[in-house]
Amino acid sequence: MCDACGCDHSHEHEVQKKTIDVNQSLLRANEKAALVNKKHFDEQGIYVMNLISSPGSGKTTLLEKTIEAIKDEISIGVLEGDIETELDAERIRAKGVPAVQLTTGGACHLESPLVHKGFHELEHQLDGRKLDILFIENVGNLVCPSFFDLGEHIRVVLISIPEGHDKPLKYPKALRTSSVLMISKSDLVPYFNFDIEKAKKDALALNPSLKIFVTSATTGEGMDEWLKFLRSVLTNRTCC
Amino acid sequence: MHEVAIAMGMVDELIRIGRENNAKKITAVRLKIGRLSGIVTDSLKFAFDAVKLEHPVLLNAELTINEVPLIYECNDCKKSFDTDNFYFPACPECDSFNLKLVSGEEQDIENVEMEV
Repeated sequence: MCDACGCDHSHEHEVQKKTIDVNQSLLRANEKAALVNKKHFDEQGIYVMNLISSPGSGKTTLLEKTIEAIKDEISIGVLEGDIETELDAERIRAKGVPAVQLTTGGACHLESPLVHKGFHELEHQLDGRKLDILFIENVGNLVCPSFFDLGEHIRVVLISIPEGHDKPLKYPKALRTSSVLMISKSDLVPYFNFDIEKAKKDALALNPSLKIFVTSATTGEGMDEWLKFLRSVLTNRTCC
Repeated sequence: MHEVAIAMGMVDELIRIGRENNAKKITAVRLKIGRLSGIVTDSLKFAFDAVKLEHPVLLNAELTINEVPLIYECNDCKKSFDTDNFYFPACPECDSFNLKLVSGEEQDIENVEMEV
């Protein structure tokens, strides 16, 4: 007896083969979720910036200094991404700005579904208040965050002076998927062999449309240009 | 990059595609992975072969990866060329840096072969 159809003789079952053309991204699930996020942000008129960098490049400090300078003129919200702890969200809240910590528990990058959840939590905190700009500080990692769109309008990559001027070449995807490069901790230039012109040249070789800032949160160098840039993207945005 | 995480995402997609097409078995999957995608194809194959074992419909699925080269087209003289260099790539015909990336960033499922 044939097990498949219960008939009383064995036979070849006709097997039909077909090939389906797919032509869709391997990361389709996250990309779909990113589009949902972007639509949500656009509908609410919120400009979203995703900050990526190695651990310790100065993302949180940049946010602290940015908040101090413009929080009275621009309404800011922050999503903080880390593997563990609420430390960064606490630092942001201490500056008087609402922040939600996204703790991945192990994943070394944020993905859109978690950002979506976090944003709804932030909306509860805001209680009807409108945001002009949402900063998403990604998990410290110069590799994996490059692969995952969060629905942001702009991605900023930070490379700090102690990391070395070879980092743009070594991390091409981080440079190519960002619109802004911030070379941070510029006050440390006297103590390291960081060739700023080489780093800029290499970064532009990978991504000719990169906007580059050289800043120090400690001394304030370059911060005026950064704040001017922020104000201008908000004023000139067509997205939302 | 986490090729296991990518393989798991891919498996979810394949199961969805199989279900939509009433597949009894998925026999082959063809991917298009570009030179600039950052995805390591050997790791992805290894990861897929491990992850697929959880899903009866994928047990015999063979993965083929079409590695797409880096191809630019010059916006000035329209010459197309392939290269391994993505650092200040220049047109070999007219030396222009004004280039358009034609292929090399792909990270797609191209097609899926199944028994229905």
